[in-house]
Amino acid sequence: MGAIATSNNPTLPQDPNVRGDVILPDPVEGRELLVRGNLTFHQVTEMVVAVNEAPLLKTPAPFVFGLLLAASLMAMFVGYVMWLFWEGPGVWGNNNPVGWAWDIVNFVFWVGIGHAGTLISAILYLFRQKWRTSVNRYAEAMTIFAVVCAGSCVVLHTGRIWLDYWLFPIPNQMGLWVNFRSPLEWDVFAVNTYFTVSLLFWYTGLVPDFATLRDRAKTRWRLLFYGTLSLGWRGSMRHWVTYEKAYQLLAAFSMPLVLSVHTIVSFDFAVSQLAGWHTTIFPPYFVAGAVFGGFAMVQNLIIPARAWLGLKDLVTVRHIENMNKIILLTGSLVGYAYGMEFFVAAYSGNEYEGFTFINRAFGPYWWSYWIMIGCNVAAPQLFWFKKLRTNLTLSWIVAAFVNVGMWFERFVITITSLHRDSLVSSWDYFVPQTEWFFLIGTFGLFFTLFLLFIRFFPVIAIAEVKSVMPEADPHFGEDHGHGHHDAATAGGH
Amino acid sequence: MSSKVIERPTDITVPATSLWAKLPVIAGGVGALGTLATIGMMFGEHKERAFFSYLFAYMTVLSVALGSLIFVLIQHVARAGWSAVVRRIAENSAATLPLFVLLFLPILLGFGHLYPWSHESDKILEAKRWWLGADLGNHSMAKFVLRAAIFFAVWVGLSYVLRKRSTAQDALVEDKEKRNTVTLSLWSLSAGGIFLYALSQSFAAVDWLMSLQPHWYSTIFGVYYFAGSMVGFYSFLALAAMALQKGGMLKTAITTEHFHDIGKFMFGHTVFWAYITFSQFMLIWYANIPEETEYFMVRMEGGWDKLSLAMPLIHFFIPFLFLVSRHVKRSRVGLAIGAIWLITVHTLDIFWIVIPNAGAHHGPPAGAAHGAAGEAVAAVGHAPHLSVALTDVTAFIGIVGLFLAAFAFLMKKNAVVCIGDPRLDESLAHENF
Amino acid sequence: MSTTTPKTWGLLAQYESPREIYKACEKVRDAGYKKWDACTPFPVHGLDKAMGAPPSTLPWYVLVIGICGSIFALSFEIWSMQSDYPFILAGKPLLSIPAYVPVWYEFTVLSSCLTVFFGNWFLNRLPQYHHPAFQSKAFERVTDDKFFILIEAKDARFDADKTRALLKGTGASHIEELGD
Repeated sequence: MGAIATSNNPTLPQDPNVRGDVILPDPVEGRELLVRGNLTFHQVTEMVVAVNEAPLLKTPAPFVFGLLLAASLMAMFVGYVMWLFWEGPGVWGNNNPVGWAWDIVNFVFWVGIGHAGTLISAILYLFRQKWRTSVNRYAEAMTIFAVVCAGSCVVLHTGRIWLDYWLFPIPNQMGLWVNFRSPLEWDVFAVNTYFTVSLLFWYTGLVPDFATLRDRAKTRWRLLFYGTLSLGWRGSMRHWVTYEKAYQLLAAFSMPLVLSVHTIVSFDFAVSQLAGWHTTIFPPYFVAGAVFGGFAMVQNLIIPARAWLGLKDLVTVRHIENMNKIILLTGSLVGYAYGMEFFVAAYSGNEYEGFTFINRAFGPYWWSYWIMIGCNVAAPQLFWFKKLRTNLTLSWIVAAFVNVGMWFERFVITITSLHRDSLVSSWDYFVPQTEWFFLIGTFGLFFTLFLLFIRFFPVIAIAEVKSVMPEADPHFGEDHGHGHHDAATAGGH
Repeated sequence: MSSKVIERPTDITVPATSLWAKLPVIAGGVGALGTLATIGMMFGEHKERAFFSYLFAYMTVLSVALGSLIFVLIQHVARAGWSAVVRRIAENSAATLPLFVLLFLPILLGFGHLYPWSHESDKILEAKRWWLGADLGNHSMAKFVLRAAIFFAVWVGLSYVLRKRSTAQDALVEDKEKRNTVTLSLWSLSAGGIFLYALSQSFAAVDWLMSLQPHWYSTIFGVYYFAGSMVGFYSFLALAAMALQKGGMLKTAITTEHFHDIGKFMFGHTVFWAYITFSQFMLIWYANIPEETEYFMVRMEGGWDKLSLAMPLIHFFIPFLFLVSRHVKRSRVGLAIGAIWLITVHTLDIFWIVIPNAGAHHGPPAGAAHGAAGEAVAAVGHAPHLSVALTDVTAFIGIVGLFLAAFAFLMKKNAVVCIGDPRLDESLAHENF
Repeated sequence: MSTTTPKTWGLLAQYESPREIYKACEKVRDAGYKKWDACTPFPVHGLDKAMGAPPSTLPWYVLVIGICGSIFALSFEIWSMQSDYPFILAGKPLLSIPAYVPVWYEFTVLSSCLTVFFGNWFLNRLPQYHHPAFQSKAFERVTDDKFFILIEAKDARFDADKTRALLKGTGASHIEELGD
């Protein structure tokens, strides 16, 4: 570290509410410190767990209000689902030929949101992007809750919900198995695997931090709650060796997993013969789009949270800027895919392909197409300018636009391709009936879980952040040439 | 502070006695011979195959040069620290791109033989004229040449500036402010450069490879060529770095840690290639639409089926299982075997893309009036039986030789490492966790 | 100070920084102790080497179980689709390897990741809710900012006085004896 790890840091203001927002110039030599304010390990701990350790009765009023709001939306969702059970999916606007509509749009939207969490935990880890330590816990939690929402969409879309167990490889009374050659069956495996692995990954990362909360517990219930979750973790170096290997392996498996999950989601569409669905770029294009939307959601969640939870020293404006760069990159990749689809539709000489894309842009749903282009391709281009991508308010707004745009992307793909299918006599127009409750309800579910997470679980990976601080290097403060060649310098992520 | 003493390398120029110094002449001679022989055979009895052999060799070697270019761009944009010791290699192999402008001329010579749309006509091909160009009977390749000129302008321009500024930085070791300005300027140049690169490379793949089967189309094709080019490039980088050390350069600067990272990228892009290739195959196979399946149909007969079925094994499973091991990536011998293997299978992959088209199209298809699908099926024709022609070998040796000659010539001109790079120290001290 | 009751589990020494514990671990390792451990709030890089701790065997378990899971998934798909109840759907052949790939792949990842997860706790013998070190008040900071070395009395070289002297010599800021 040392000479190569830190650039000359200019003196920052003392106020922890300000210094995290100070925009530093891009260092050429060395790297910017990831944690600001010369914090000690103990201060990092205190900073992160403050919100978790606040007594229950002293929960800040805005938080209680937010939780109640989210919980009431979730309650509404439960009511809506009951009604859906009773009436059946006839309460939706699905028709023929738009047999897949809002339910699938919601599903793909939420699964996509989840992907940034895995990307931050796994891919950035493998690429040694140390700044990920400040945001990974957050993003992983987001992944899990987003996949829960996605799961609720996919479970509900089947219609006869009580028969959903048919999705699993259990032979029926005739001994017939599920069809492993069907993309919908692939989806069952992909989403379940993804949820399971994300949960295991998240929990593995949480265990040392649960132990921190256990050791600081002042009340009986905290001791029991965090004590149970921490599995008796005691920070043994011999444990860390296996633990780090496990973490590395989970990261290595998650990286292809996250690719495969959205690839398989894209297969749901792309193995069909429908123009607009069947195109070979779908797999990488869906993955890029998922990461794009996921990062936007991380921004939407973390920009307010870092201010409210007093975590600006740990999640600095540099972190926000880095994520904005990823949004710019993935947004442009998505733009490339939109362009390539349009180009090949024109290039192919296939009139059905050509019609589908012209219809997307200028047909009955033209507005959804241009919302998609405006939010996903145009809006992130603002991030070419450092001034704009380090502006927190603007970042939040652009991220919100991206979320809207990514929802509309799935709307465009699903609905505009279906409503003008190959049989002209069956053309129809999809109008949502009660689906808004569906979308809002999943947001209620998501935010309820997320707010509870913020309140009770450490939102920053405490142990990981400490390990990338310069003081974590066992050779910190030593001069050159002490000859510990065998020992890797600290923070080598 | 680091516990390691960082020594800046001093063995940074090509020694006059090493093979590197003679490589421009040797490889250039062999390369010129091979290329000229191939061009000669373009006028001989097997001229059609000669053009396809040439295109195959050209696209294979071009993929390495293009891979070098995107590598340099990515390193700048990501402000990568680890790669500063090997970036000059890529800068030089990217700077060979002007050579490919010259080498493109024989492809224009064979335009009428290589690309069926240059002289055939049916409903689908006519619907593609707006892009492809070349009206029947007119043999106009104006659009084709214009697009190629744009691609080359982007590639040559980018690779020239990247190399020029980087070598100019070599002299600025002492002047911190100036050299940092250079790095920052390369950073912003590369951010835009990646976009130009992505578009030009994709459309080049469409123009030069995908339109060999002009009825066929696949939106992923640009990414497919890119994935293969990265496999080829990282393998080339590993071998070039080893060869530099054999030639007495950067003996201590390039460490096992750097080779380990290059190995990880070889491994990663092998997986990426498999992912993209499988995605393309899977979607076409599953949907089973005649317009698209022709691509795989011609490759499932006449001996090509064996190569097609072997591809997942030799281009994915074997290198995957081999390179997954940390010990292999950290061993020079292991990595060299992996690199040679991957370069070979990457070459086979381009061979598999190009050669089945040789002789597949003869004249306009029968049954041109039976609608789009009927035409597509009729136009498939049959691939020649899988075989290696003499021209495949001469063309490959020829273009590889010229490429290596140009590369070694550029390596000789400047330091073989970005000695003025502000992140060189970080790269020298780099260690994997 | 030197009364080693039979109930002594071992000694606990506290250090204030990664650097101190790193040096201390090298000394304890060089003194030839085997049954000892270092406890830290985060993985200190290189400390395993300073301790002489062996690398993890986890990857081998994952490799074996992952391959088994992979073989199982593919053979199960082939068996159920082709042998147990052959049934043509969507015009796909009974043996459709490309169409088997997604489930095959996902199951391989799932079985490997479950092995990683449970293997991690199994190899570390966790959960273990009781440990002698938890008696110590000072040890509560192990998950915050303090670094500890534990030497077990079971170690052949353990001697209450000598070991304590060794730990003192390594610059421990606090040493205490742990009951069993």
